[in-house]
Amino acid sequence: MSDYKKPLPQVEPYTQAFWDGTKNGKLLVQTCSDCNARIFFPRKQCPECWSTNLGWMEASGKATVYSYSVTYEGVEAVFKDDLPIVLAWVDLPEGIRMQTNIVECDSDSVHIGQDVEVVFKAVTDDITLPYFRPVA
Amino acid sequence: MSLAIVGIAEVPTKRDPERTRWDMLTEVCIGAIRDAGIGKDDIEAVISVNPMAQPQMALDMALGRVPEVLGLKGCKDICVLNAGGTSTTNCLRLAKYFIENKQAKFVLVPHTTVQSDIPTEDLINFFATAPLDMQWEYPYGVTFNGAMGLITNRYMHDTGATAEQMASVTVSLRAWGALDPNSIFHGKPVTLEDVLGSRMISTPLHAKECNFLADGAGAMVVTSHEVAQELGKPAAYELGHGVRFTGATPVLRDDPYFHRAYRESSQDALAEADLGIDDMDLRQIYGAYPFTQCSALEGYGACAVGEAAGIWADGRCGPGGDLPCTTMGDATGRGHTGSGVSMAFYLDTVRQLRGEAGERQVKNCHHAIVTTSGGSVMNAATTVFGSEPR
Repeated sequence: MSDYKKPLPQVEPYTQAFWDGTKNGKLLVQTCSDCNARIFFPRKQCPECWSTNLGWMEASGKATVYSYSVTYEGVEAVFKDDLPIVLAWVDLPEGIRMQTNIVECDSDSVHIGQDVEVVFKAVTDDITLPYFRPVA
Repeated sequence: MSLAIVGIAEVPTKRDPERTRWDMLTEVCIGAIRDAGIGKDDIEAVISVNPMAQPQMALDMALGRVPEVLGLKGCKDICVLNAGGTSTTNCLRLAKYFIENKQAKFVLVPHTTVQSDIPTEDLINFFATAPLDMQWEYPYGVTFNGAMGLITNRYMHDTGATAEQMASVTVSLRAWGALDPNSIFHGKPVTLEDVLGSRMISTPLHAKECNFLADGAGAMVVTSHEVAQELGKPAAYELGHGVRFTGATPVLRDDPYFHRAYRESSQDALAEADLGIDDMDLRQIYGAYPFTQCSALEGYGACAVGEAAGIWADGRCGPGGDLPCTTMGDATGRGHTGSGVSMAFYLDTVRQLRGEAGERQVKNCHHAIVTTSGGSVMNAATTVFGSEPR
């Protein structure tokens, strides 16, 4: 896994728990214990009320495609072997929208409103990226 | 008192590494000052557009080389501003502050960019990393085109715009560009078949609907309305301005294709100008991707939501149409000069209001609305200009 050449997420101290979660097969959503906001991306403080009284909830792993784009060209060299790449914005029922890739799919069949589910891929010893795939 | 653009100069958008940054910059600065009909020492401030992805040039400009090279002996201070595509807008805002506070009578606003000497891989990396989040977007292979593909697909889903209608936007933009000696596509119109038949880059965006990175330079001389009138030459008078921030990260925006930002920024600008959207003779929309040409028209209230793509498809926004839009061609019809695209938008608006736009001249062009955006459309900055002061 150490030969992974693609860019890794630049982890901040206050996002470490998210990446610890994915490493353990959990998709965590940051929550505000004061105003109950669901927060993405994770912050050092709640962007709604500036509380630092923050926690995490485990997401169900289900999501719906809000939008997508299938990339065929124009990526950096390290991504070329992955083409076509299915970029997607997915809405989680827990109340956040995140950027991901749709994997294990026919790229032509991906569509807005499609039901997808999280799948974890360990890309290095430290980093596991959450991707999504169509619900069978 | 408000701002007036009284002098302009531009070098045509091309890919030509033989033209150096300083060679082009010197040419446009001298050209704009001469066009204003003033002397070089009348310039009291130089507020420059930050040249993105060109660190040495950015430092040269930030640390004061422009007035030194040009011998601007009256220059009291310099500043470089960077907000990506809205850098030029910020330059105009700061120039207005200098002018209104009597710190400067004339301000020079220059831009220069050479991208043809930067390796393609570096440019892809720059445009992928500059406006995207390094933790939550970049690891997934998101590029600038990919982010805009995501937005475009949702825009089409929500408005019912078809692929053919969206492609027609590029046909019209290239039609303007084909008539424009400053466009890299001068004399090179495209058909709907050309656009739809070009390589797919990131769905739904074909190659001809994406940006062609190029080199360019432009400069403006600005002053107050009163001084502009004393100069006694045609000028572009700023009548109103408004801006809205949408957010830095595309996936997080609750205004995903910017209807609200276009609506509110244009309402502020039009209210200050005491004019309505129907008073505008020209709409200049800098969004760099075709959906923005539709979304802005809808946000302005120039048509209903869901109608704009059809209006473009009917040819009403292109040459000869009754709703002329973006005679500058936008980045897809003109060539993308980094942070200089918005400079080129203002220069083209001045040409239109001065009646100097040649074959692209909009008839009786007295009022124009111009929207610029920075980053991956982190904001919409809308300005109303007139050929006469208020």
